[in-house]
Amino acid sequence: MTTGIIFNIQRFSLHDGPGIRTTVFAKGCTLRCIWCHNPEAISPHLETGAHGQVFGQPMTAAEVLLIVEKDRRYYDTSGGGLTLSGGEPLFQFAFARELLSRAKASGLHTALDTAGNVPRGWVAEILPFVDLFLYDIKAHTPDVHRRLTGAPNTRILNNLDYLVEHGAAVRLRCPLIPGINDSVDHLRFIAALSRRFPQLDGIDLMPFHDLAAGKWRAVGRTWQLDEIKSAAPDQQAAWLNVLRAEGCDRARIG
Amino acid sequence: MNEPHPFSVEHAFTEAYRRHQHTHPALREAYCLQAQFPAIFLPIRKDDRFAGRIAYKHIGFSPQPHTGGVGYYCDHAALRAIIEAHPLSASDHRAVEAMLDFWRTEETRAKVRAAMPPTLAEALPSDAWTEEPGVVFPLYRMAGANLDYDRLLHRGIPGLRADVTAVRAAATPDSAAFYDALLIALNTLERSALYLAEQADKGGFARIAASLRAIAVYAPETLHQAIQLVYLYTMHATLQCNFGRMDMYLGDFLQHDLETGRTTREEALDDLIGFWRIMPSFEANLERVKFDLRVIIGGRGRRNPENADAFALLALEASDRVRGIVPQLSLRCYTGMNPDVYTRALDLIGSGATFPILYNDDVNIPAVMRAFDIDEAAAEQYVPFGCGEYVIDHRSFGTPNAIINLPKGLEITLRGGVDSITGARMGLSGGSLPDFSTFDDLLAAYQRQVEYFTDAAGEFQALEYRVAGQEAAFLYFSLLYDDCLERGMPMFSGGVRHLGGTYETYGNITAADSLTAIRRWVYEERTIAPEMLLTALDADFEGYAQVREQLLNAPKFGNDDETADAMAVWVLEQVCGVTRAQREKTALDSFLVVVINNSAHILLGKLTAASADGRRAGEPLTNGHTATNGMEKNGVTALLNSMVKLDPTIHAGATHNLKFARSVFTQHRPALEALLQTYFSCGGTQAMITTVNRDDLIAAIEHPEHYAHLIVRVGGFSARFIDLPPETQREIIQRMLWE
Ligand code: SF4
Repeated sequence: MTTGIIFNIQRFSLHDGPGIRTTVFAKGCTLRCIWCHNPEAISPHLETGAHGQVFGQPMTAAEVLLIVEKDRRYYDTSGGGLTLSGGEPLFQFAFARELLSRAKASGLHTALDTAGNVPRGWVAEILPFVDLFLYDIKAHTPDVHRRLTGAPNTRILNNLDYLVEHGAAVRLRCPLIPGINDSVDHLRFIAALSRRFPQLDGIDLMPFHDLAAGKWRAVGRTWQLDEIKSAAPDQQAAWLNVLRAEGCDRARIG
Repeated sequence: MNEPHPFSVEHAFTEAYRRHQHTHPALREAYCLQAQFPAIFLPIRKDDRFAGRIAYKHIGFSPQPHTGGVGYYCDHAALRAIIEAHPLSASDHRAVEAMLDFWRTEETRAKVRAAMPPTLAEALPSDAWTEEPGVVFPLYRMAGANLDYDRLLHRGIPGLRADVTAVRAAATPDSAAFYDALLIALNTLERSALYLAEQADKGGFARIAASLRAIAVYAPETLHQAIQLVYLYTMHATLQCNFGRMDMYLGDFLQHDLETGRTTREEALDDLIGFWRIMPSFEANLERVKFDLRVIIGGRGRRNPENADAFALLALEASDRVRGIVPQLSLRCYTGMNPDVYTRALDLIGSGATFPILYNDDVNIPAVMRAFDIDEAAAEQYVPFGCGEYVIDHRSFGTPNAIINLPKGLEITLRGGVDSITGARMGLSGGSLPDFSTFDDLLAAYQRQVEYFTDAAGEFQALEYRVAGQEAAFLYFSLLYDDCLERGMPMFSGGVRHLGGTYETYGNITAADSLTAIRRWVYEERTIAPEMLLTALDADFEGYAQVREQLLNAPKFGNDDETADAMAVWVLEQVCGVTRAQREKTALDSFLVVVINNSAHILLGKLTAASADGRRAGEPLTNGHTATNGMEKNGVTALLNSMVKLDPTIHAGATHNLKFARSVFTQHRPALEALLQTYFSCGGTQAMITTVNRDDLIAAIEHPEHYAHLIVRVGGFSARFIDLPPETQREIIQRMLWE
């Protein structure tokens, strides 16, 4: 059985898909977002932090499911289930496929929180085991995307096309960092996606919170965004206004 | 009232007692109560909608005096302080001294203590549970009466008098004295109503005066009269009261008033708010009383569910409007209940009110049937009182008269019966940790220790009832408790149908987690030698940080972990088992554990050494069936899954404190509802929910002046956060916040 490197399992998770969920965070990522809120997720390996704490624990899909199953009754009453997140949860592809396929087979609702910067083949292969994709949109042009995350968004958008075309349920998740990627152009880009894919499950704007700086230090990385503050409520309202002006009124602050 | 002479009420009361010292105790009580009422009523205040506020004097009679104690009480410390601060004339001084001297041995509490046989006194050497370390302590009080308010309201004062007179006719001499005493008590009640009516007239409270005059002569007809009678009667019975199934007994009055146009819903709401506001302790000035004052709404077994639900909605609204720490509004939920009531209840909780406390009838009724050994119809009448103990409404009595500190029980077991703080001998000796070659040996020693103390607790509970019964008839309880009238016997002298008791256990989870850690590291992994563990605990982990680290890393209750949860189940079953066994060992009908909480987990924690779960000396013990603060690391579903493993059918109530971020109620309401629904359907019995912003709590410490409205649940009571002592505030901030 494939072993995954898991860095957290969060039960009673209300923010990663519908209902009460258990979110499983797998290590490893194909991007390097400068604001990354889970820096301990970037490396696929076990890591030892600045204070000696170990990030990551090897677990088999069966072991993970044993924990996930404990809250099945809560999923049943709330319409919740399992969310696989990361990092980029498809980075450990074999593990992700095994976990999601087993979960699906046992009747759990499955969500996958992905940045989409992965080979098309993986996306195609995982599709049948995922009830809902939580799909990240981080920047509007390949260049800006490269600057902010280390890779262009070309493959990400192609994979999005593919998923929507193949009938996947997709919810866009758009991290917005004041002064970094909350430009009007980016917001218009999100609105354009909304128009292009009316069948999307929804659009969540995820306001940046500055809790990550400490985590970066804990994993011995340098945090570069010191001066950024969490988005104020009026700023969040302004984003929604831009989207609305572009004909997108289904975005929510998530 | 103006006192013409210093302590005139105390003197009059003492005089009445002396004169009737050798009269039948029921009559003596009746005469004493005459000296107490209406003397202890306070003036009606400007915005009051009902009369009957009272303030007990330094000497008097109460089932649960403010001094601590039971029955006849005398507040020696307060009296002495006053006469020292304001010297009296020589003769007045002598009179007070004589009174103090008299009561020293006549107080009921002193008589209970004096009646303890030597073996019992050896097991329970101290009453000072907040000051001295100990395993079990006796408590002196008759708490948790739930009176038959339906009977009160249907019969009224004249009807009750007729009932007593009817049974008096064919009574034995002993019963006749009891009945005569009841008649005197009813006269006293009537006299109080008329006295207050006069006061109300003088103060320009025409509506109050009219209702008081009406209830002196008739059974109440309106909601206002009904509330006035309930309040007046209750204030005669006890200040530390619980109001039971109020929606049932007031629901019909509300409905009738609305139907006949006597009142509008708005007026009724204002009256109810007025009722809430005159509840003792509404202003947080009566330390002990906030633990009681339960008002129960909802639940199966109401004769008038529709009217009762209409009243329940009004009660929720009243609590929403007043935002007080009392009454402790409690909602019994059940499959098929009125969804409006449930929705409004969650709205109120979500807005930060801490009320209502939720109870789950679907689990609790079958559990009560088994715990109390009664049929379903009787079990449907369970009511939580105080901090969460169940009794059967006006059929059973179950005051908690002993508390046990389970971690202290383990502490002395590890050390061969020696308290590690004082070095004093305590409980059973018989080997210390290094002597126990297996974990089972340790468990057996712990079991013996708990059983030894619990036997003492049961014996004490029975003894307190016996002495209390010899001393007084507790007339206002007996009159509205099933069977007393019919049997011609006072409450505690054979009157009440089910005379039980309850036993407050503290630190259950601290004890369980400690045992889990000892098994893991001392007996299974053997990475901590027994001697080393004891040294580390005695040193409060100073210089033993690694030992503590290991102990903290052992499995902990509240994480849905089989090992830790199984130990918690065992600890509960063990103490519940030896407690229930008191039915066979004593005259009690039942003796049941309650896993409730007020602030005792903090106070007892201060007197408890470091424990093997990694808790440092002096830190709080766990609270009810909740995990150790900060140790529930797997989310609230895991915590709830752990909680429902604890068998509800073997005890008489347990509290489950949960603290949610406000946003869970505002932004994730469907998920929250699903969470509660699942918890209840999986066996959850009860939930006391606080919703807060953590930032608010922190800000409230710095700027208390801005946060007077912030109410939190401590355990068995709610409190204004800013009124709490710093250690309790800290404990609440540390409590896990689910978001
Ligand atoms: S995709 Fe997510 S995990 Fe990966 S670097 Fe970006 S924010 Fe971090």
